[in-house]
Amino acid sequence: MVLPLLRIFSYVLALAGVSLLLPLVAAVRYGETRAAWSFAVPMAASIAVAVAITVVYRHIKAAPLSIRAAFVAVGGSWILLGFFGSLPLWFSGAIKGFTNCVFESISGFTTTGATVIFDVESLPRSINLWRCEMHWLGGMGVVALVVALVPLLGIGGMKLIQAETTGPEKGKLTARITNTAKVLWFIYMGFTAAQFALLLVCDMGCFDALCLSFSTLGTGGFSTRNLSVGAFENPAVEWITCAFMLLASVNFALYYRVFTGRVGGIWRDSELRAFAGIVFATTVCVVLIQLPGAKAFGETLRDSAFHVASIISSTGFMTDDYTVWRPAAQIILLALVLIGGCSGSTAGGIKVVRWTVLFKQLVNEFRRLVHPHGVFTLRLNAQPGRETIVPYIASFIFVYLLLVLVTMLFGALAGLAPFEALTGSFSMVGNVGPAFGELGPTAHYGNIPDFLKCWYCVVMIAGRLEIFTLLILIGTVFSFRRNSAGSRRYN
Amino acid sequence: MSKKVIVVGAGFTGLQLARTLVAEGVHVVLVDRDPEKVQHARNALDCTVVESDGNSPETLSEAGIATADALVTLTDDDEMNMIVCSLVDADYPDVLKIARVRNYAYYLRTTATASRHADATASGERRPLFGVDHMLNPDVEAAAAITRAMSLGAVGNVIELGGGYGIVSLPVVAGGPFDGVPICRLSKMPGWHYLVAYVESDKTAVLPNGNTMPEAGDRVGVLVSLEDIPSLMLFMGRSAEEILRTVTVFGADRVGTLVVDHHVSSRRASVFSRIFGNSPREKTREMTIVDRDPHLCREAAERFSNVRVLCGDMTDADLVREESLDAVDLMVAASGNYESNLVMAAYLKSRGVKKTIALTASSDFDDVARKLGVDVAVPMRDTVVDCIVSHLRGDNVKSIHAVCNRFFEIVECEVSPSSRAAGKALSELVNDGEFLALLVQEKEGGRYSMPNGSTVIAPGARIVLVVKAGAGDEIQLFTGEA
Repeated sequence: MVLPLLRIFSYVLALAGVSLLLPLVAAVRYGETRAAWSFAVPMAASIAVAVAITVVYRHIKAAPLSIRAAFVAVGGSWILLGFFGSLPLWFSGAIKGFTNCVFESISGFTTTGATVIFDVESLPRSINLWRCEMHWLGGMGVVALVVALVPLLGIGGMKLIQAETTGPEKGKLTARITNTAKVLWFIYMGFTAAQFALLLVCDMGCFDALCLSFSTLGTGGFSTRNLSVGAFENPAVEWITCAFMLLASVNFALYYRVFTGRVGGIWRDSELRAFAGIVFATTVCVVLIQLPGAKAFGETLRDSAFHVASIISSTGFMTDDYTVWRPAAQIILLALVLIGGCSGSTAGGIKVVRWTVLFKQLVNEFRRLVHPHGVFTLRLNAQPGRETIVPYIASFIFVYLLLVLVTMLFGALAGLAPFEALTGSFSMVGNVGPAFGELGPTAHYGNIPDFLKCWYCVVMIAGRLEIFTLLILIGTVFSFRRNSAGSRRYN
Repeated sequence: MSKKVIVVGAGFTGLQLARTLVAEGVHVVLVDRDPEKVQHARNALDCTVVESDGNSPETLSEAGIATADALVTLTDDDEMNMIVCSLVDADYPDVLKIARVRNYAYYLRTTATASRHADATASGERRPLFGVDHMLNPDVEAAAAITRAMSLGAVGNVIELGGGYGIVSLPVVAGGPFDGVPICRLSKMPGWHYLVAYVESDKTAVLPNGNTMPEAGDRVGVLVSLEDIPSLMLFMGRSAEEILRTVTVFGADRVGTLVVDHHVSSRRASVFSRIFGNSPREKTREMTIVDRDPHLCREAAERFSNVRVLCGDMTDADLVREESLDAVDLMVAASGNYESNLVMAAYLKSRGVKKTIALTASSDFDDVARKLGVDVAVPMRDTVVDCIVSHLRGDNVKSIHAVCNRFFEIVECEVSPSSRAAGKALSELVNDGEFLALLVQEKEGGRYSMPNGSTVIAPGARIVLVVKAGAGDEIQLFTGEA
């Protein structure tokens, strides 16, 4: 099992290393010498390691990945990425303390967007660009990009992508998995380019526009400004960002269908319908709750729509401090944290499709109570007979809530107030970023104890990989240790 | 020269078809491989019976396929039915070939591809798929018959004819408008017309003349425009037809689901008309399917999203009470078990269901059904035989329906210009056999009307007759075919 894992890890690292090229160029361009070196060294090191591993083991034919190995590969890759991404932050001295660097990096790759930095505007620009680029890489998935670029992984690729993408159902869009990964990444890049272009049209600086696009499409939430998107004071920018946050939280497989001309069936997608309904209904509610205030209707509508999009897509941008909004509006946003985006998107949370299935199951249970002899079927995307998916989703939500509870407990142990512990744990597991109360969008996570930061790191990766992947990784590591004296079961 | 028809497969349907054809004077050759069936057929029927496999060309030529007019394959095996037709088609393309195909998937695919296939043949020779001219699916025919009965409000067996007319079979109730009144003295109704097509008592059935006097307990076949059925019901002393709003279908197998499918899809198709509502009967139909088989129920639940599916035994009083199945307007018993269809329909009728339709094995059960209080009995075998016979009668015969325990037939045919009747008034034809002309088209493609003695039969027009079953001469009077 070790060799294929080693190869995958080295590819992932090399890819992350290559992607440091962009901030490196920025550092050189803006004359940030120390930052430039802090990008160049990890980049060179990662590429050197990858080349070395490839050369040394070039004659050994890799065995196909077992299912467990795929989970381990993905989970391990994400942990490695977290540490690797923190290196430039640490070397450049932009962020004090290694724990903070790792937290920031994992928050970046998992598209959480929770920051430990009080004043992001004081950071070197290249470091800010790297923070946002981590979002972008993590959004669609680094392992997916590796699968797209390295054809060798062909057969195991499906398993890898399944372990990395979100949602209860993962299928191939095209006959070959490398093509599927390529298609998804092309669509993703296309949207990023589109937002970048639109932001440029709105008189935004090239650097800010690129960072904002990376952060939006990855549904991350890191910003180059302390006041997030609100700092630009440009309604057009806010509407564009709002739209792209929503676009990024829709299943990317649907875009593939649109681009291949199969538009007809799009609206039959149960999840998309539910998602659209939730976004519309909650926006209307928040507007109605917030409207009897001092602000004008247009501004209230913009703020409401923006924050609904920001929270449901698990981005965590802000244009206004919602922790001072009316409590009812805040609770609606908190509910959106739990709902999350659509499966197969870059958004976090429990995902709309799971709620949809459970809701349909609930309706069926009610019908069964009224008609004990009735025969009912669960229709998802107009396909009947999908009841089999219910136990899987129920167990996922069970584990999810369990993780939330444990995280809440850890937060409380670390001295957080109950509301902060609760919302912070929702926000971490759901990869949203900002929470409520003292951990609101204007605050930062720099002041929480180190052990809680470490736990939050674990939780963010668990949330991004939808828990099971990480659980299997942990289980494998423990059973591997237990059995390492005896036979190597996992070869 | 009489017609010659080869029937492969001497099951119930094969025998009944042969009996019908023999009675018409058609030369029938029955082919079956089962010695018992062959022996039975030999004893029961006056026709040639060959004991052999139907799929061997030798057998078929021995049976005289070369001189036959038509081949009907009715074995239990769909593939066999189609292959035999295909074999015969290769050598004798002129023989009319009819195959029974029970597999719905075959039937669907074949009817869909048949036209494409015909267009694709390069030689310009338009051959049907597998050489089968007419493919018959018993389930589809039965479902169509049930659907017809439902659309007319399940008032009794309704035979639909051309021009929007139909024949409704009704019981004569004591004190009712038909009881003890000679036909010539029946009251004329303002605004709508009716005509008594036949009078059927327990022992016999007659074509009515002015002096025929139906009595209580008899049944009359009344020809009426379909739109006027509610008026007829009112006239008969029944309350105006209620809309059959709630429907329970017993049996989630092929026929049942086809019936439901028809109503669900017609509902789906008419979203526009539903909003602007001009078809009150169709728009508010609420369907429930009940079956004992969990697998069939599951399939039905997966297929229909707006239909309630219940898995259970309909004779279970608790189930009936629980789901208020006794309060529905119409119950359609369409399962594969014909006997239990009758029992279910009768049982629910007794529990208060307004109308019941039952799918039965054959018209032999019509009497039983009537006595049990079932409103409409749709005989599976007769529906199939009717359909085959109407195909066999040639192009000019458009439809044929057996009534009064197959004593009479209602025949709709086209008047051939070469026939003796063409251009003559009906009164000139009184000596040409026993028949009753019910409807005559004024000209080809024109309106239908109820004729009187001076009505002239236009060549090319259609005519609807009641004749004794197997009365080929009367039909030939109009079709001119020998």
